[in-house]
Amino acid sequence: MNTINKYIGVLAIAFLLIQCSPKTTEVMESVEEIVDFRGSAPNPGPAPKINIGKANTFKLDNGLQVIVVENHKIPSVSFQISLKNDQINENEKVGFVSMAGDLMGRGTKSKSKAEIDEAVDYIGASLSTYGSGMFGSALTKHVPALLDVMTDVLYNPSMPAEELEKIKTQTLTGLVASVTDPNSISSNMRAKVMYGGDHPYGEIQKEENVNVIDIEACRDYVECFFIPNNAYLVIVGDVTIDDAQDMANKYFGKWERKPFKPVKHKMVPKPESTQVMFAHKDAAVQSVVNVSYPVELKPGAPDVIPARVMNTILGGGSSGRLFLNLREDKAYTYGSYSSLSSDRLAGSFNAQASVRNEVTDSSITQILYELERIRTEAVDAEFLQNTKNFMTGSFARSLESPQTIARFALSIFRNNLPEDYYETYLEKLNAVTVEDVQSMAQKYIKPESAYVFVVGSKEEVAESLLQFDSDGEIEYFDPFGDLDVADKTEIPDDLTGTQIVEDYINAMGGMDKLKGIRNVITTMSASMMGQNMTIQQSYAEGKFSMTMGNGQMTFMDQRYDGTTLQVSQMGNVETFTEGSQVDAIKEQATVSAQYDYISNGSTIELLGAETIDGMSCYKLSITKPSGNRVTEFYTVDGSLLIRTVGTAPGPAGDVAITTDLMDYKDYDGLFMPSVIKTAGMMPTPIEMKVESVEINSDIDMSMFEIK
Amino acid sequence: MSKFLTIALWLLGCLSLVAQGNEIEFVEYDLNNGLHVILHQDNATPIVAVSVMYHVGSKNEKPNRTGFAHFFEHLLFEGSENIERGEFFKYITDAGGTNNANTWYDRTYYYELLPSNQLELGLWLESERMLHAKVDQVGIETQREVVKEERRLRVDNPPYSLLRFLEQVNSRLFTEHPYQWSVIGSMDDLNAAQEEDYVQFYNDFYTPNNAVLSIAGDIDIEETKMLIDKYFKDIPIKNPDIFRPNIVEPPLTGEMVDTTYGKIQIPAIIMGYRIPAQGTKDYYAVNMLNTLMSGAESSRLNKTLRDEQQLVLQVGSFPLELEDPGVALVFALPNMGIEVEAAQAAMDAEYERVQNDLIDEREFQKLRNQIESSYITRNSRIAGIAESLANYHMYFGNTNLINTELDRFMEVTREDIQRVAKQYFNQDNRVVLNYLPEPLKP
Repeated sequence: MNTINKYIGVLAIAFLLIQCSPKTTEVMESVEEIVDFRGSAPNPGPAPKINIGKANTFKLDNGLQVIVVENHKIPSVSFQISLKNDQINENEKVGFVSMAGDLMGRGTKSKSKAEIDEAVDYIGASLSTYGSGMFGSALTKHVPALLDVMTDVLYNPSMPAEELEKIKTQTLTGLVASVTDPNSISSNMRAKVMYGGDHPYGEIQKEENVNVIDIEACRDYVECFFIPNNAYLVIVGDVTIDDAQDMANKYFGKWERKPFKPVKHKMVPKPESTQVMFAHKDAAVQSVVNVSYPVELKPGAPDVIPARVMNTILGGGSSGRLFLNLREDKAYTYGSYSSLSSDRLAGSFNAQASVRNEVTDSSITQILYELERIRTEAVDAEFLQNTKNFMTGSFARSLESPQTIARFALSIFRNNLPEDYYETYLEKLNAVTVEDVQSMAQKYIKPESAYVFVVGSKEEVAESLLQFDSDGEIEYFDPFGDLDVADKTEIPDDLTGTQIVEDYINAMGGMDKLKGIRNVITTMSASMMGQNMTIQQSYAEGKFSMTMGNGQMTFMDQRYDGTTLQVSQMGNVETFTEGSQVDAIKEQATVSAQYDYISNGSTIELLGAETIDGMSCYKLSITKPSGNRVTEFYTVDGSLLIRTVGTAPGPAGDVAITTDLMDYKDYDGLFMPSVIKTAGMMPTPIEMKVESVEINSDIDMSMFEIK
Repeated sequence: MSKFLTIALWLLGCLSLVAQGNEIEFVEYDLNNGLHVILHQDNATPIVAVSVMYHVGSKNEKPNRTGFAHFFEHLLFEGSENIERGEFFKYITDAGGTNNANTWYDRTYYYELLPSNQLELGLWLESERMLHAKVDQVGIETQREVVKEERRLRVDNPPYSLLRFLEQVNSRLFTEHPYQWSVIGSMDDLNAAQEEDYVQFYNDFYTPNNAVLSIAGDIDIEETKMLIDKYFKDIPIKNPDIFRPNIVEPPLTGEMVDTTYGKIQIPAIIMGYRIPAQGTKDYYAVNMLNTLMSGAESSRLNKTLRDEQQLVLQVGSFPLELEDPGVALVFALPNMGIEVEAAQAAMDAEYERVQNDLIDEREFQKLRNQIESSYITRNSRIAGIAESLANYHMYFGNTNLINTELDRFMEVTREDIQRVAKQYFNQDNRVVLNYLPEPLKP
C-alpha cells in the first residue's frame, strides 16, 4: 500500500510541475523517477483475506444428507446426487457399475431416452447419470421441470435391456482400442500389480467381463445403492437455504430408505524392493515409464498438505524438478510429472514420462535420481516460497466456483475432517518449511522400493532395464495386467526362420499345390458400424483386385494389373504407378505372401517364442525387399500363421496393425484361415468371415483392368 | 381495452420469459492516449483478471505476411526493456497466477489471472508489453519453432481439426477479403519475415488507441484508476490511424465443390456458408438456426441424421462471430458404408425443411430456452467477464451489451429463422468440401 501511495504522490507532484513550470532540471529528475518505477516488478499489496463460502447442511428423515451452497451470481441451480459407498468389487462383471449408472438416464417407466433428452433440452438444462450418482443443472425458473425429470430417472428407471446392449457394444469397441494404447496397458498393469485382482482398484475389464454383464446385475445395483441413506444431495447456486430445504423435502423426501451395509476393504501391501514390470508392445517407438507404489495417506491427514508441497516441487508441473531435468535439460520427453494422491482405500505415488526407446534406461536413472535428490538435498527456500505462492493462487482461483465450496463440504463429510479443514488450508500451506519438505520426502518417496512399470518394445528396451531390478529378473505382463508367463518352448539350435515359413507352406498344402494355383477368389463378409459388407479379394497371374460393398453398391474398388494400381472410393478414382501404395499392393498380388518370402529374397529372422491366445508360437521378423517389416507368429504345434503385426501411417505417426488369422479350414486342398480380424487400421476392429474360396475357376479377367 | 390488455400481457410474457441474469456493473473511460478502460468490481473471491485486447487480428495482415498477428502474440511474451527474456511467465507463476493469450481473425487478447494483491504486477507486465516490448533474434527463432509445433498439434495432426476445416473452407469462400487465410497462417511467410516487419507491426497496432484494458475482480475502483494512470497514461500513441481493411467480398456466383485430403480413415463432408457479420439482426437469427440444427442432443441434425437415420457418426454446425461477413461451418462424418453424397443430401434436406416449414411454437420456445440458458450461465467467471466486456466495447462500441444482448436474440422471430435459412443456407452461397483419406490423393 505504501508503495502505491508514494508513487501516486510522485505522479501528482510531477503533474503539477509540468503544469506550472516548463523544463527545469527539477522536472526532469521527477520524470526520470517516474520512468524508474518501471525498472522492476512492483511489490504485492498485503495478502488478501481468503474467505471460503459457507455450506449449509441438513439431513432428511430418510437419511439423505443434504449440502447447500448459496450463490446468487448466476440465476441457475445444480443438483448432484453423490453415493457414499466406496468403490465396490465387481468380480467377474467388471464395468457393470458404470453401465448401470449410464442406463438410468436411458429410459424411465414413462419416458424413452429420446423423450428424456427432449424434456431436458426443452428447458435448456443438462442432466447426466453415472455409476456413483447423477448431476443436473438448470436456470432457476426451470428447476421444478428439471427436478421432475431427475427424480423420475431416480425413482423409475426402466433400465432398458436393449440400451445395455448398445453400451456393451461401445465398451467392447473401446476395449479393443485400449489393448493397443500404451497408456491403457500401463494403467492396467499398475492397477493389477499395485492393488491385486481382489481389490476394487485392481479389477481390470476384459472382453469376457463385458460379455457376462446382464441387466439384472445393473438393476440390482441401482436398487441397492441408489438409496437415500447411502447418498449426499448437493445443491449449489441461486437458492436460499429455506427453498433448498423445501425442494429437498418435496422432491427427495419420498425417496425410500433401505438397509445398507458398507463394504470394507483390505489395505494394500507395498513392494519391498525395486522391481521392473514390463508389458511388451510390438513395434513401439516410445516407452511409457511409470515409477509407482501404494502409499498410506488418507485425505485430511496432517501430512497431506506438506506432502503435496513436496510433490509439487518434485514433479507438479512445468517448474517441477522432473520436468526441468528430463525435458528442459535432457530433452528425453515432452513432459515428466509426479503425483502423490491421498485416498481412503489406498493412496499412491507415481512419477511418469513417455520417452524414446533408446533413452528409456537413462530416463529411469534420472527419475530415480530426482526421487533420491528430494530425499537428501534440502530445497531452496525461494523455490519453496514460489511453489507455495503458486499453490495459494490455484487454491484462491478454485474458490471462484461455488462447486468448489460444495466439494469441500462433501469432502469434510466423506472423510470425517474437522469443520475448519479448508478454512485453515492456506495457513497450513504457508507454514510448510524446508525441513517439512525433506521429512515428507523421506517418508513418502521410496526409490529403493518402487515398481518400475514400462510399456514398450521388449526387444529394444527390456534388457537395459535389468540394472534397476533388485532380483535381476524382469516380470512380464499382458495388456490387461496379467502375468505374461514366458513361453517355455525350447527352440532347437538348427531351427531357422526360413524352415518355419516352409513348414507353414507345407501345412497350407505344400509348395506344389501353391505353384499349381493360377487364380483364387476369396469372398468374405464383415459387419462394420452396423452395416453388412461383402469383401471380395481376387488374385490371378500377378494381378490383384479387391472390392467392398453392401450388395447394393460398391464402396471401394481396388485393382492392380501388375503395373498400375487404381483405387475408386465414393466416386473418386485415383491411379498410381509407383509409391508405397503400389509396393504394398504388389506384395498382396500373390497366392501367399509367405510363399513369396522364400523366393523374393526377404530376410527372415527367428526372434524367439511367445504365447498368443494360449498357443506357443515362434516369432519371426520379416524384412521384405521393399524394406517393409512385419512380425509374424507361427504355432509351434501345427505350424500355422496366426498373427501378423505391421505398421501403417496413421493420423499421429505410424500405427501398429495387428491381424489375427483364425479357424483354419480346408478349401479345395488349400488350408486357409476362415476368420480374419484386423485391429489398428480403423477406430473399430474389423472381423471378416470367409464365405467361399474359389480356386482355378473360370475367372473374368476384366476385374483387373484399369478403367 | 381488450386489445391493450392483450398487448400488455404479451409484454409481460416477454419480460417473464427473459429472466435476465444478474446485471454486470462496470465503469469505463478513455485515457488521453486513447486507451479504453473497463473496470468491473466483484470482491467475492480475492482474485483479479487483468486483460488487454488489441484490435488487430489476421485480418490486418499483409497477404505475404500471413500468420503475423498470431506469431506476434507469441513474441510479445519474450520480454521488454525491463523484463528479461523468459521472465514474463515466471513473474506470474511465482505470484500464484496464470496467464494466456489468443489471436483470432479480428483481435488479439492477453490476460493474467492473479491474486488481487498482485493487480499492480499485472498492470506493470501489460504496460511493458504495450510501451516497449523487446524481441531479439533468439526469441524469433524459438517462437517460430513453437508456432510450427502448434500448427502440427492443432491444425495438421488432429484428424478432424476444425482449424484445418476453416482454413480449407475459407481459402475457397473468400477471394478478396483477408478472412481467406487462416489465423495461424503460412510458415513460409513467417520464415520470410524481416526485422523491419516486426518493428512496423508493433508500431502499427500495439498502440494504446487500438486497445482495451479490461479488469474484473477483487478491486477498488478508485485505487485501480490511479494505478492505471501510473502505468498507462504516459504510453504514447504510436500510430493515430490504424489500418483496417475495408474489403467487401463479392457474392458467390454459385456452389463450389472441391476435394481435400488428410490423415484420416473415415471421410468427412464439410460445408461453409457465407453469413452476415456479428451484431447484425440476421446474425442473431443465423446463430439461433445453428442451435436449432445442432445445439443439443435432441437438435434436428443429431436427432434425424445420427439417431433416427443412422447416417452419420457425428454432425455439427456453428457460425463464426466475425466483424465482417464471415462463415458458418456445417460438417458430418458419415457412418461406414454411407456415401458422402447420401449424408450431404440428408443434411440439405434438413435445411430445406427449415426453409419450407415454419418451426412450430414448441420447438421455437425450446430454442429460446436453450439460447437463454447458455447466454445467462456463460458469465460465471471473472476471466470470462473481463473478456466479454472488452469484446462488446471493441466490436460494438457498446459495453452494456453484456447485459442486454440477449434481447437481440429474443427479438428474432420464427419467420426470421426461416428467412435466413433461405437467404444464407442455400446451395449457391456455399462451398462443399469432400475430405478424404490421404492414400487416395493423386
